[in-house]
Amino acid sequence: MRATKVATLCAVMTLVSGAAAARDLTIAGWGGNYQDAQRAAYFETFAKKAGLGFVETTYLGGLAEIKAMVETGNVTWDFLIMGGAELQLACDEGMLEELDWKVIGKDNLLPGAAMTCGVGNVVIGNGYAYNTKAFPEPPQDWKDFFDPEKFPGKRGARNSPGMNLEYALMADGVPPDQIYEVLATPEGVDRAFRQWDKIKPLLQFWESGAQPVEWLASNNVVMSTGYNGRIVMAKHEGKPLEFVWKNHLVNMDAWAMVKGSPYKDHITDFFKTVNDPKNQAKFSSLMPYGPSNAAAAEFLTPEMMAELPAGDNIKDAAFYSDAFWIDHLDELNERWSRWSTQ
Amino acid sequence: MSAASRKPGGGRLVALILLAVPLSIYILLYLMPIGSVMSLSVDNGELGRRLSHFRVADPQDRDARTSQLIADMQAMTSGQQAEVARELNQELSGFRTLFLKTAREADRIEPTLAGLVAFDARWGDEKYWAVLDRNSDPVTWRHFLRATGLILDDGGKVVTGGDDIYLQIVWRTLVIAVQVTLVTLLMSYPLAYAIANASRRLAAFVLVAVLLSFWTSVLVRTTAWVILLQTTGLVNTFLLWTGLIAEPLQLIFNRFGAIVAMTHVLLPFAIIPMMNVMRTIPKSQVNASRSLGAGPIESFLRVYFPQTLRGVGVGGGTVFILTLGFYITPALTGGPQDQMLSFYIADFVKRALNWGMASALSVLLLAIVLVLVAVFGLVRWFFSPKEGVA
Repeated sequence: MRATKVATLCAVMTLVSGAAAARDLTIAGWGGNYQDAQRAAYFETFAKKAGLGFVETTYLGGLAEIKAMVETGNVTWDFLIMGGAELQLACDEGMLEELDWKVIGKDNLLPGAAMTCGVGNVVIGNGYAYNTKAFPEPPQDWKDFFDPEKFPGKRGARNSPGMNLEYALMADGVPPDQIYEVLATPEGVDRAFRQWDKIKPLLQFWESGAQPVEWLASNNVVMSTGYNGRIVMAKHEGKPLEFVWKNHLVNMDAWAMVKGSPYKDHITDFFKTVNDPKNQAKFSSLMPYGPSNAAAAEFLTPEMMAELPAGDNIKDAAFYSDAFWIDHLDELNERWSRWSTQ
Repeated sequence: MSAASRKPGGGRLVALILLAVPLSIYILLYLMPIGSVMSLSVDNGELGRRLSHFRVADPQDRDARTSQLIADMQAMTSGQQAEVARELNQELSGFRTLFLKTAREADRIEPTLAGLVAFDARWGDEKYWAVLDRNSDPVTWRHFLRATGLILDDGGKVVTGGDDIYLQIVWRTLVIAVQVTLVTLLMSYPLAYAIANASRRLAAFVLVAVLLSFWTSVLVRTTAWVILLQTTGLVNTFLLWTGLIAEPLQLIFNRFGAIVAMTHVLLPFAIIPMMNVMRTIPKSQVNASRSLGAGPIESFLRVYFPQTLRGVGVGGGTVFILTLGFYITPALTGGPQDQMLSFYIADFVKRALNWGMASALSVLLLAIVLVLVAVFGLVRWFFSPKEGVA
C-alpha cells in the first residue's frame, strides 16, 4: 500500500518535471520601469511575431546563476540583459552563445554594440546631476564637481572606483579618449585619487541608483553622480534636477543568450527585434536611455533626444571600458576601499 | 498491527531512527555549506588544476617551463583558459588579458621563452612568472594571506607588510558589534522589565509594539530610519522648528545612524530572552528584601539584577553575534567608515566575482565568532557555581 503511494508520488513528480522541461521562453531583466519598457518595446513584439508565449524573471547581476545553469545543463533562462564586464567574462568562460553577426546584421549600430556574445542595446549616460535651486550659476563640467570652493555642499557618489576614477581624470583635464591610457599607469591612478581627496569630506556614498535622485530632490546633497535615466524621470515628475551632459561616460547594457538554451532557433529573430530602430525608439520614449541603433533618432522628437545619451549629447562623451575594468577591478577596488574608509 | 508496534525494541528503534532522520538532515544541511565555504577559501580553482605540467617543470630551465606552460594552455578548453586568466588577474592586474591572448594563440607560439617573449614582450617580465610559480598548486593560501595582510617574500616565506585593510575592517566590525550590543542592552532592559512587571495592559501594549517591529521587514525599518534622520528628515525638521539647532545635524550616513538603525532592528532579540527570565523572578523576593531594610536601589542591585543576568547574557550574546553579520542596514545608514565585513564579502561575491576571497573572509568571521563563543562559555563556566562546592 505504502509502496504504491511512493511509486505514484514518484510518477507524478516525474511527470511534473517532464512538463517543466518543455517550458516557455524565459527572459531575464533588471525589473522595474526598465523591464516594463523592454516588455512593451521588445518582448511583446517578438512574441507576437514568433507566435510564442514568454515568461519573465529578474536578474540581479553576477555570474553564479548562469554558471550553474550551463554546468548542470538545466538551462532555465534564454535571453538576459547584462552589464558589459560580466558579459565579457561569461562569454570568455563559455556560458553564452556566440553570435553570427553576418546573419543578425550590424547596420547603424554604435561601435562596440556588436560583441562576440552580446548585443549592445541600452546606452546609459553616467554623469552627475545637480539641484537647480542650489546654485545661481549651474555647474558645467567635471571640474566644477570636484571644486568645493566654487560649488560648496555635499556630493553623492557611488562607493566604487569604476567610473569615479574616470570622472576625476576628466576633471583634471585628461581628454575623454585618453582616460584609460592614463588610468593604466600608477601616476594616473594617483592623479585620480588626488581629485577625490579634494571633495572627500563632502561625500555621501550611494548604493542603489534611486538614492541620488532622492537625495538631490530633498536637497540632502547639492550634486551627485548618477544615471541619466533616473534623473530625467525625476525631472519629468517635477523635481528640480538637471543632468550635466558634458563629458559623461557612456556604457551599454547588452542582450545575450545562455548557452544550451532550447530556444536557440529564435536567437536571430530576437536580436533583430531588439536592434530594430523603431522598437528602440519606443523603448527610449518610455525609459530615457539611449538607443544603440543610430537610426532610432529618426523616430524620436528633438525634445526626447535632448535628454538621451544619443546624438549631440554623446559628441564629447567618453566610452566606458569594460576591458580595462576586467583587468584592473581587483587592484583598484582594494585601493578605493582603503581610500574611502580612511 | 497494534501488537507489533507495542513490541519492545523494534518499534522504538524505528521511532528513534525516524526521529533521528530530520536531525541528521538538519546537521547535514547546516554543515555542508560551511564545509564548502571552507574548502572554497583554500581551493585554487581552475588555476590550481590546469597548470599540472608547468607545476612539475624544472624552475631553472626557462625553456622547459615555457613549453610546459604552453602545453597546459593547449590542453584547456577556452572556458577553462578564461577562468584561469581571471584567477591570475586577482593576483596581478593585467594578467588576464596577457594570459588569454597567449592561450588563444598557443598553437602557433614557438615553445621557448624567446618564442613567448617574441609573441608578447610582457612575458619577459619576471613578475608574471613569479605569480605563476606561487599559484599553480591545487590548494592555496593566497586568499587568507590577502585577508590577513600577510605577503610572501621572494624566498616564499610568509611575512607581514601587506595591506592589512581587511584586519582593520574586522576590528571595526567587532567595535561596532560591541557598541550596538551595549546600546541595545541599555534600551531593552527597562522595556523587558516593563513587560514582565507592569500592569497587564501596559505590558501587553509594550509587547505588541516590540513584536510588531520584530515582524516588520529589516529593509522597511532601515529605510524608515533613513527618512527620519536625513538632513531634511523629520527629526532635523523638528529640531530646527524648536530652535534647538540652527543647522541640520548629520544624523545618518555615519556611525550614529548605523548604530541607531541596527539597535532598532535587534531590540527584540534582547528584549524577549530578558523578559522571559524576568517573568520567572518572584516579586515576593524584592518585597522580602525591602521588608528586611534594603532600599529600592540595593534591593534591585543585590536581589533582582543578579537573577536577570542570564537573560542579559543570552540577549547580549545573540545581539552581538547577529551584529557581526550585518550587511544591508549599515550599507544603507552608515558611511564608508561604518561598513562591516559582510559588506566586503558581498562585494567580492557580486562585483569582483572572487569567491575564494569571499570565502576566506567568511571563514575569518566564523572563526572570530567561534573564538568569542568559546571565551563566553569559559567565562560562564568560571563564574557558575560548581557542583559539589557550596
